Amino acid sequence: MENLANLAEINAASIETWMFYVLAALAIPFAYGVILDKAIIRSGFLLIGVFGAISGLFLILQAQFIAMAQIMIYAVGITLVVVIALMLTNPRMDLDLKPAAGNSKLTGFVVSFVLFAVIYLAIRSDAWPIKGELPAASNVAVIGQAITGQYSLPFEFASVLLLAALMGAIMLAKNEPVEPEILEYSEASGAASDAEAEALTTAR
Amino acid sequence: MGNASEIFKFTRLSIIWLCLIFIPVWLVAYAVGIFIPYFLIKDQQNIFFDVFQALVPIIAVLVFIPINAMFMVLFERRGLALFTVRSGPNRVGVDGLLQTAADAVKLLFKEDITPRGADIAMFTLAPITFFAPSVFAAIPLLAAVTNDHPLFHIVNLPTGIFYVLAASSVPVVGIVMGGWASNNKYSLVGGLRSAAQAISYEIPLVLSLVSMCMMAKSLDVVQIANQQAGGILDWNIFGGGALRGIDKFIALNLVGNTIDAKTILDAAYPSGILSYIAAGVLIVCSVIMFLLYLTGACAEINRIPFDLPEAESELVSGYNTEYSGIKFAIFFLAEFTNLFIVSSIAVVMFMGGGGNPIPAWLLDPWWPSFASSVGPMFDLVTAKGLMLVDEHTFFPALWVIAKTYAFVFFAVLIRGTLPRFRIDQLMDFGWKRLIPLSLIVFLVMAFARVLVNVHLVMPAGGAP
Repeated sequence: MENLANLAEINAASIETWMFYVLAALAIPFAYGVILDKAIIRSGFLLIGVFGAISGLFLILQAQFIAMAQIMIYAVGITLVVVIALMLTNPRMDLDLKPAAGNSKLTGFVVSFVLFAVIYLAIRSDAWPIKGELPAASNVAVIGQAITGQYSLPFEFASVLLLAALMGAIMLAKNEPVEPEILEYSEASGAASDAEAEALTTAR
Repeated sequence: MGNASEIFKFTRLSIIWLCLIFIPVWLVAYAVGIFIPYFLIKDQQNIFFDVFQALVPIIAVLVFIPINAMFMVLFERRGLALFTVRSGPNRVGVDGLLQTAADAVKLLFKEDITPRGADIAMFTLAPITFFAPSVFAAIPLLAAVTNDHPLFHIVNLPTGIFYVLAASSVPVVGIVMGGWASNNKYSLVGGLRSAAQAISYEIPLVLSLVSMCMMAKSLDVVQIANQQAGGILDWNIFGGGALRGIDKFIALNLVGNTIDAKTILDAAYPSGILSYIAAGVLIVCSVIMFLLYLTGACAEINRIPFDLPEAESELVSGYNTEYSGIKFAIFFLAEFTNLFIVSSIAVVMFMGGGGNPIPAWLLDPWWPSFASSVGPMFDLVTAKGLMLVDEHTFFPALWVIAKTYAFVFFAVLIRGTLPRFRIDQLMDFGWKRLIPLSLIVFLVMAFARVLVNVHLVMPAGGAP
């Protein structure tokens, strides 16, 4: 038996590698499941698994803050909203989807191959030097200073974009007022007589 | 005081159960973390020495959660009985003490039914997804509530409170999953309501905690808890440390110290009258933030008045309608654990963690012999080097337990008092009132904070 600290020094790199493979072995089947599962809501839940595994990858890279944000925003917030939208819009789950045109398989193959080639070349064309320096002790402080200092302009642009998206969503979802609220009230509570409703309208 | 005897029984029950919870938890933690490594293995080079010590937090949590849930169910039932002038469960064991233990055994032996047409994998996964995050979420808090005991130091993350928030946002996935997989309309509606509610009320909840992190300049729960040491005036609920200067000022005046007290006030409130106004604003804002936290937390863990996901008069039992046996037990366990976690976050972030509410300057003149009378008692236990009790952990832990269960009691009181919201009222209240209010208060706090030197650290040589 060896000292644990000693052991950690020797094997830190290999443990990280193993953890990477474990997380990859989780993330890839989940990702396949997202595409292949017939029940679209189940693939929504599988997406949560993918995001969870990816946040594990961030943890290996010592990026605690991004890992937490990944879980909080992507795995829970966004995916849940997507799943709820799917539930409310009632997708036809039993529908057997068939390829629309004859050569769609070929198109799919070409598109995915080109995408793969682009991403692969983008990753391989750059050198990824391994630096000896340790990651910052306080993730959050570094990110906060970068966002409010060096990258404040892009950050503001991103927030303006999000605001515009929010306002657009509200405009799209906004109901046109069909009938006065007071009628709903008198309908809902059947006891309310017309006289009462009139009294209420005049009061307003 | 017609029900004085009932109150006495309730108090007795609470004390007995608290002993039943925390003594076994500490004994297990002691056995795994200290007894086995130091007395059985002895060899510090042995790999198991570190492994056992590292296992302590998770084992402590796993022992704590089931016993605590049993207590809290009984606490809630007896508490509600007290508020509605009933007797509550009082047959099993002595005065109903063992009622929930019997319930737990019953639930374990019940048949585990999966409804026809349910998605079996997700039906099984849902309670696990609901329960597991509450185990993870509690772990960083362990360091804060035990005053950074060496055994729990390992779980003190630099992103502590953010980790807790991230972990406690996951259970809603379990609810939606369970609601969908049950193949039942009531369950589905319950799950959808729960998701809508959790997403909307998470924003004021997180903003209130972020404002406290902003005052403390840290996300580290241990640091936030320690900053509030020194009495009720230093607690985050009263201005996030804005009163620290006044606290020190009173302390110095009472002691009759030779240091010019004005330097203390100048250090804490640098820009004169503006700073005092800002301190007042901070106090108001942080009290509002505290109330926002309580509201958001109540909605987050689906308790009355926000228990729409399981509104029994509308939805049978909401998302857990189809669950039975052990799966239902896990849902139940997680719900009460979440209540406990939310209460302990409130204690750590707002109520001074393990700090004594009575300031030292008030306590010392009245009870000067306290330290000297308690110290030897601990020496008796620790003299043999058993490390069984540590006064740096023992008193903070006692305070945390008292404060946390006070919050749990408050939640029970709320449940016994308020009626349930309607779903549209709930969403309106969240989006149109709470979120704008929390954003405005947060902004005001950010500006007011600049004028006050919060959590004043005494200049070198200035401390008595």
